Amino acid sequence: MKAFNAKYVLVLLAIVAIAALMACAPAAVQPTAAPPTTAAQPTAATAATAAPAGFQPPTDALGVVTIGPNDPVHVGYMFVTSGADGALGIDSRRGVEIAIDDKGGKLLDHQVKFDGQDSGCSAEGGQAAAAKLAADNTFTVVLGSSCSSEIRAGGPTLSKAGFTVISPSNTAPDLTDPAKRFPGYFRTAHNDKVQGAVAAKFALEKLGVKTAATIHDGSPYAEGLANAFAENFEKGGGKITSREAVSPTDTDFKPVLTKIAADKPEMIFYPIFVAAGSLITKQAKEVPGLGDSVKLMAADGTFSPDFYKGAGDAAVGMFQSSPDFSAFTGGYAKFLEEHQAKFGEKPVSAFHAHAYDAFNIFAAALEKVAVKGPDGTLYIGQQALRDAVAATKDFPGLTGTLTCDPNGDCADPHIAVYQVGEDNVKNAVVPSQPFWKPGQ
Amino acid sequence: MLKRRRSKLEITDIFIYAFGIFIIAIILYGSFETLRQGKYSASQWADLFVFGITIGGIYALIALGYTMVYGILQMINFAHSEVFMAGPLTAFFLADALAKSGLLATNPAISLLLIFAFSMIVSTTVAVLLERIAYRPLRHAPRLVPLITAIGASFFLQYAFRGLFGTQFKVYPEIPALEGVVTIGVVRLTYTQILVMISAAALMIGLQAFVQRTRTGKAMRAVAESRESAALMGINVDSIILTTFVLGGALAGAAGVLYALVFTQVSFAMGFIPGIKAFTAAVLGGIGIIPGAMLGGLFLGIVESVGPTLFLDGLNIAAPYQLKDAIAFTLLVLVLIFRPSGIMGGQTQEKKA
Amino acid sequence: MPILELKDVHSYYGHIHALKGISLTVEQGEIVTLIGANGAGKTSTLRTISGLLHPREGQVFLEGEQINGLPAHIIVSKGIGQSPEGRQIFSRLSVMENLEMGAYSRKDKEGIKSDLDHVFRLFPRLKERRSQTGGTLSGGEQQMLAMGRALMTRPRVLLLDEPSMGLAPVLVETIFEIIRDLNKEGVTILLVEQNAAKALSIANRGYVMETGRIVLSDEASKLQESELVRKAYLGED
Ligand SMILES: Nc1ncnc2c1ncn2[C@@H]1O[C@H](COP(=O)(O)OP(=O)(O)OP(=O)(O)O)[C@@H](O)[C@H]1O
Ligand SMILES: [Mg+2]
Repeated sequence: MKAFNAKYVLVLLAIVAIAALMACAPAAVQPTAAPPTTAAQPTAATAATAAPAGFQPPTDALGVVTIGPNDPVHVGYMFVTSGADGALGIDSRRGVEIAIDDKGGKLLDHQVKFDGQDSGCSAEGGQAAAAKLAADNTFTVVLGSSCSSEIRAGGPTLSKAGFTVISPSNTAPDLTDPAKRFPGYFRTAHNDKVQGAVAAKFALEKLGVKTAATIHDGSPYAEGLANAFAENFEKGGGKITSREAVSPTDTDFKPVLTKIAADKPEMIFYPIFVAAGSLITKQAKEVPGLGDSVKLMAADGTFSPDFYKGAGDAAVGMFQSSPDFSAFTGGYAKFLEEHQAKFGEKPVSAFHAHAYDAFNIFAAALEKVAVKGPDGTLYIGQQALRDAVAATKDFPGLTGTLTCDPNGDCADPHIAVYQVGEDNVKNAVVPSQPFWKPGQ
Repeated sequence: MLKRRRSKLEITDIFIYAFGIFIIAIILYGSFETLRQGKYSASQWADLFVFGITIGGIYALIALGYTMVYGILQMINFAHSEVFMAGPLTAFFLADALAKSGLLATNPAISLLLIFAFSMIVSTTVAVLLERIAYRPLRHAPRLVPLITAIGASFFLQYAFRGLFGTQFKVYPEIPALEGVVTIGVVRLTYTQILVMISAAALMIGLQAFVQRTRTGKAMRAVAESRESAALMGINVDSIILTTFVLGGALAGAAGVLYALVFTQVSFAMGFIPGIKAFTAAVLGGIGIIPGAMLGGLFLGIVESVGPTLFLDGLNIAAPYQLKDAIAFTLLVLVLIFRPSGIMGGQTQEKKA
Repeated sequence: MPILELKDVHSYYGHIHALKGISLTVEQGEIVTLIGANGAGKTSTLRTISGLLHPREGQVFLEGEQINGLPAHIIVSKGIGQSPEGRQIFSRLSVMENLEMGAYSRKDKEGIKSDLDHVFRLFPRLKERRSQTGGTLSGGEQQMLAMGRALMTRPRVLLLDEPSMGLAPVLVETIFEIIRDLNKEGVTILLVEQNAAKALSIANRGYVMETGRIVLSDEASKLQESELVRKAYLGED
C-alpha cells in the first residue's frame, strides 16, 4: 500500500470543503436580481386589455408591480419550515394564513396567493431562499425571515430587487441599526435590546442572582441577545462570569459547561436555537458543579415543542423569555380559536401573532398605495409600498398597537418570562401563561 | 521524514517547521498558564478527559470504517457518515417502541442488545449496498471517480433519509437503568459513559482480534497489501472487500447507538459532523492503519474536550470552545507536519519487497 | 489430454496488444519453460492462465475444462498456483501468515499441515523465520516464501515467474534443485526464466516468445542447440 502523503490529505480536505459548500448553498450562483415587473413591461393580461385614454398607470422609483385583473396578489414568505427549528417558521406561516382567511382570502378584490421558500435558519439557506424569491417578479412583498441569520445573508438581495420585507420573528438588534439596516426592511417582532433588558431584569430582580454566564452560537440572533443581556445584567450590578460561544451543530457541550462551572455562576443564559439549546439543557444537569442549583434560562429561539422533546425532564423549572401572550389584544382569543379549528393544535412557537400583524400591516399599506386601473388591473409602486409601511402608526394589531419607527422597528414589544412546567415537557406544548413580566 | 532530512531543507520546509514549533510553543505556554492559574479542580480536569474519551471512542469506531476501506481500496468512503446515521435513525423507532411497551425499563439489557443489533444491521445493509451499487462497478476506474461517487452517494442517502423520516430530530427514550454515577477518586463516570467506553473498547479489541487472528482477517490484510497476490492465493477479493464494508458498517451502527445514548438526538443530518471528525481522526492516526484510527479517535476526542480550556483559557482567549474545531484541525496539521503519514503511519514505510 | 492448454490467446492491457495469439500445451508431469526478451509477454501469458488477465480471444483449458474468464481465485482452487514476478509476498504479514494465505481456499486440515511441513523441509530458512514479517526477509528468503506460498495452494500446475531473479548463484542452484524435486513429486511446472541456459537444462520442452508471439517451440535439448536461442538467449555468438 502506498504511504499516505500530506498533499493528498490537503486535496481531500479541499474536496470536503467544496462538498460542504455544495450541500449548504444550492443557490450559490445567484440569479441577477431582476426587478419586479415595471410599468414598461406590462404583463400579457394588461397588454390585452388596452387602458382607455385618460388613465395613467403610476410610476415608481423602484418599479411598479402590475397585477392583471384576474391575477392574484402574490405574497411571498421566507421562513424556516424544516429541521429542528421548523416550528418557528411553520408557526409564522400559519399566522399569515389565518390573517389571509380573515380577509376572506382577498385583497382589493384579488385573490391572495401565498407561498415561499424554506430558509433553513441559516445564512446559506437565507441566501438561497432570497435568490429564488428575487427571481420571481410576481411577488408584491416578502414576509420573513424567521431567523436573523437568514435575513442578514439574504436581505440585501431582496432589498435590491425592490421588495418590502416584513419579518415576524427577526429580533437581532443590528438588523434595525440605521448603519446596517437595508432599505425596505421592517419587523413586527421585538428588538432584542428589549428582550435582553427584560431577561436581565428578571435575573437580577426576580431570581436575585448576581452572577451569570452566557452562551451564544455565533448566529446574529444569539450573539445579539446574549450581548444585550450581558450589558443590561452588568449595568444592573450583576457580574458576567464568562461569555462562551459554541457552534450550532455541536452536540457535546459538557466541556464548555465544565468550563463555565469553574466560575460558579448562579445562572446560565443561552439564547440559542432548538437543537443545541435542548442539548445544553440536558447536559447542564449532568455536569458536576452545575447540577440542580444553577438557574437555566433560554429565550424565544427555543420556544418550541421540539425543544421540550429534545431537552426532556431537564427543561422542567427552567425559564424562557418570549413575547408576552397575555399582553396581546382581544383579537388574540379569536385567533387561537381559528388556529385550533384550522390546524387542530395550539400555536407551536412564539411569533404567529406577529406574523398575523405583519401581513395586516402590509395589507393596509397595499390598500393605501395600490392604483386600480379601469379594467381592474392593480398597479403597486414598490417605493410607495415601503413608504406606506414605514408610515404605519397606531396600527391595531394582535400583539399591541404598532408604530413603525424610522429604522423599521414596528413592534409593540411586550416580553414576558415563562417557566417550563412538567406538562410542557410531557405534552410538548409551549407555555401559555407568563411566569413574570417586567413591572411586576 | 528520513528522506526529507537527508535532502537539503527547502525554504517551505523551514517555514512549515517554524510554524509547527510556533504552534507547539503556544500550546505549551497556554497550558502552563492555565494550570498555573489553578482555576480548575482535579475532578474538573478528570471530567473533561472523561467527556473526551467518551466522544473519542465514538469517533474511533466511525474512523475504523474509513480506515479499513481506505486500507483495502485506497479510497475515502465519504458516504460512511451516512452509514453511521442510518442505523441509529432507524433504530430510534425500535427504541421508541420498546420504551412505550415498557420493555426498555424492565429488560434494559435485552432491549439495548436489540437496539444495537437493529442499528448495526441497518448500517451494515447501507454499507453493503453502497459497495455493491456505487463502488464495485468503479473498481477499475481512476481513483477520483469513486471518490466523487462517494460524495454523491452521501448526499443521496441524506436526502433519502430526510424524505423517509423527515427533517425534525428524534429523541431517544431515557433508559432508567443507565441513570447513575460511579465515582473513583476524582473521576466521575455516568453509567452511559461506562457503557460507551466498555462497548467501544470491546468492539475495538474484537476487531483487532478478528483482523489479526482469523482467516478472514488475515485475508483482509493480504488484500490490503496486494489484491492480485491475494487473488493468486485463492482469496475472493470482492467478498473480502464486502466483508470490510460489513465490518465498517457494523461498527458505525454500534457507534450510532452509543452516540444516540450520549446525545439523545438523532436526525438525517447527524452524520456530517461526526463523519468529518472521524475522518480527521483516521488521518491523524495514519489512514489505513487500524490501531491508528482508534488512537486518532481518542486523541481527537480528548483534544476537543480538554484542548480549548487547557490551551486557551490561560491565554485569556474568550469563548475558547468556539474554536474547538479550529484547534482540532490545527493539531491535524501539526501532526502531519512532523509525521506526514499520521501518528502511527511510520510503520507502513518499511522496505517494499 | 494436456493438463494445460492455450489456444490462440489474445490479451490486452487497455489498447496494448500484449499476447497476439499464443498457443501452447503443457503435459502432465512436464517442466515446460517459456523464454524470451524483456517485454515479450511471458508474464502476461502466466497472468492470463491464472486469471489475473482475461483474454479477449482464445481459450485456456485445464485438463480439458475451459477456465479462461473464471475469476483468479477460482482458478487457484482448480489447481493452478503461481509465484508471481517480483515475488509479491505480503510484507506486513508474518511468514507463517503468508503461508496460511496460500492455503486459504483449502479445507483439508491434514493436507495443509503436511504441505506446511513439506515447505519447511524444502526451505528450512522459512521455518526459522516463521514469525517474522515478510517485509523483513532478504530477497532470496522472499523468493522462497513466494514459492512456498504457491505450493501451499497445492497446485497441480505451478507457474513460476523468474524464480531466480536477483539471487546469488548458490541460491539459484538451490532453487532449480527444488524445482526439479517438486517436479519429481508430480507437480507440473511452467517456468518463465531470464536464465535460459538453466531453464532449458531442467526443462522437458520450451517455448520462445517474441513481442507477444511464440516464435519457436521444441524439446529443451533441441532448443539449447538452436541458433536463434543460442544467439539471443544464451549469449553466445
Ligand atoms: N499493466 C500493464 N499495462 C500496460 N502494458 C503492460 C502491462 N503489463 C505489461 N505490459 C506490456 O505488455 C508487454 C508484455 O509484458 P510482460 O510483462 O508480459 O513481458 P515479460 O515477457 O514478462 O517481460 P520481462 O522479461 O521483462 O518480465 C510489454 O510490452 C509490456 O510493456
Ligand atoms: Mg515478466
